[in-house]
Amino acid sequence: METVLSISQLTKTFGRITAVNKLDLEVKRGQVFGFLGPNGSGKTTTLGMLMGVVNPTAGNFSWFGKPVTHGTRKKIGAVLEHPIFYPYLSGQKNLELTALIKGAPHHHIAHVLEAVELTSRKDDKYKTYSLGMKQRLAIASALLNDPIVLILDEPTNGLDPMGIAEIRNIIKKIAADGKTIILASHLLDEVQKVCSHFAVLRRGTLMHCGAVDDVGKGEEIVEVAAYHDDLALVLQEFSGTLSQKKENSNYLIRLKEGFNSQDLNRFLFDKGIIAAHLLTQKKSLEKQFLEILEEPDHAIKK
Amino acid sequence: MLHLLKVDLKKLFNYRTFWIICGLYFLTLGMATASGMEFLKWLANTFKDFGSKLNIDRIPLYHFPDVWQNLTWGSGLLKLMLAIMVIISITNEYQYRTIRQNIIDGMSREQFILSKVFTNLLLSISSMVLVFFVALFTGFIYSPEISFSYMFTGAEFCLSYFLELFAFLSFALMLGILIQRSGLSIVLLFSSYLIETIIKTNIDDYFPSIVPFFPLQSIMNLVPLPFAKYAFQEIQDYVSLTAVAIALGWTFLSTISPIYD
Ligand SMILES: Nc1ncnc2c1ncn2[C@@H]1O[C@H](COP(=O)(O)OP(=O)(O)O)[C@@H](O)[C@H]1O
Ligand SMILES: [Mg+2]
Repeated sequence: METVLSISQLTKTFGRITAVNKLDLEVKRGQVFGFLGPNGSGKTTTLGMLMGVVNPTAGNFSWFGKPVTHGTRKKIGAVLEHPIFYPYLSGQKNLELTALIKGAPHHHIAHVLEAVELTSRKDDKYKTYSLGMKQRLAIASALLNDPIVLILDEPTNGLDPMGIAEIRNIIKKIAADGKTIILASHLLDEVQKVCSHFAVLRRGTLMHCGAVDDVGKGEEIVEVAAYHDDLALVLQEFSGTLSQKKENSNYLIRLKEGFNSQDLNRFLFDKGIIAAHLLTQKKSLEKQFLEILEEPDHAIKK
Repeated sequence: MLHLLKVDLKKLFNYRTFWIICGLYFLTLGMATASGMEFLKWLANTFKDFGSKLNIDRIPLYHFPDVWQNLTWGSGLLKLMLAIMVIISITNEYQYRTIRQNIIDGMSREQFILSKVFTNLLLSISSMVLVFFVALFTGFIYSPEISFSYMFTGAEFCLSYFLELFAFLSFALMLGILIQRSGLSIVLLFSSYLIETIIKTNIDDYFPSIVPFFPLQSIMNLVPLPFAKYAFQEIQDYVSLTAVAIALGWTFLSTISPIYD
């Protein structure tokens, strides 16, 4: 797959703070790439370097396999940290200005306003907008030039649950169109819900990088309950059992690779036992994220 | 180039402060330059001894060719209004952090600053054109006799007036970029006259030859004060090319320095 962004050994120091530490990363076309890390882990600083507003201390990166010029940025739609617009201009006028800077066709404005459902408020001044509307206008502005890549930095920060749901729906819709998206967030749940791939950053250092679907692979745990006296013994006999544990009235069976809940169910059925409760637990991204962040500094996984 | 100008004008044309300041500026500029004679008459009528000491009809304020230097010098006083507008326009970009977003959206820092420089050019050219026509018309109205042989003598003061504005607005722009806060920049703009005067008076006794090289002094030297000649004093009634060269040098420096700071 075509590489959209390639980062190599990218570093930024602010005095004694190393905000980004020798970062290596690749984003391919069509990925919805989550950039996960607690506050202050260097996400915004990294995106700032990628967008030409923060000077890297060392390392380099390339967009679309070519050296970067300011023209490159016109093919990227980006909102870093907070929406930024001229408060005294209307949403429409702000977008006209962005379109002028990016060289985007004028008729795209109505289209992107529609996409973020701001058409009815387009002639109101930006300073009268609610935070959710500001975030939506920022996404509209980033979409103006039909960019190859969309960069969103904490797009749901500070929003109420409804605003969050609206933004996530917009992001999913955009992702469904096949656009490459880089989404920085400190919210696991957000990355899990919208991303296909993700990287975890801690204090400027890359801790993990991989596909969201691979999370918890080979680590399936099945919760079982059945009305049978020797259930524990029977479960021990199952050839797919790696380990088992009793939790309340359920047994938690950690399965070996290559086995799944169906195999276990069939095994029990063959033994004449009917499961009253059968639930597959995938190891959640949250658990993995917390584990990654608990790893000592030197354990950098790739 | 036209594209960069369009970008900056788009920011200003829907900004009320811009229309208020520029409206006031151009209105004042047009009215004040055209009504100098009426003002003198009013002075003569109000203060009786003013009229008796001085025969106002003898003051060739609007006569060709004096009108060019007289009007461009007077108009130069109003440039402070434009400079304040320029400072507000650039410091807004820092206050709202829109300069950052402009760069994220694909402008280079050079292009961003050039877009402001082009607006400065437009404001300076518009002022020059306005003053040129006011001078031309009032010259026709008030001059006792019109002769094409000397009518445009001294019209080159319009060009040095243009440079005076542009150099000063470039200086204001640089202050705004370096300081990034409107209030402080405006205060510094005013006090830079004071600071320069203090340095000049202290240096005058030792190195008088470098005084014309001071930035604000070089801007003042573009259109020298003409009125002393009505009190029979010697004045410089031509555009000094040295002054033009020095002012151009400062303009260049104040445009380039924020780009590569
Ligand atoms: N302009 C700056 N000057 C000094 N320190 C900064 C600056 N910008 C960011 N930092 C520091 O760099 C680190 C990373 O910040 P940031 O990239 O904003 O993290 P995130 O976006 O992941 O929350 C933080 O410790 C922050 O304090
Ligand atoms: Mg951040």
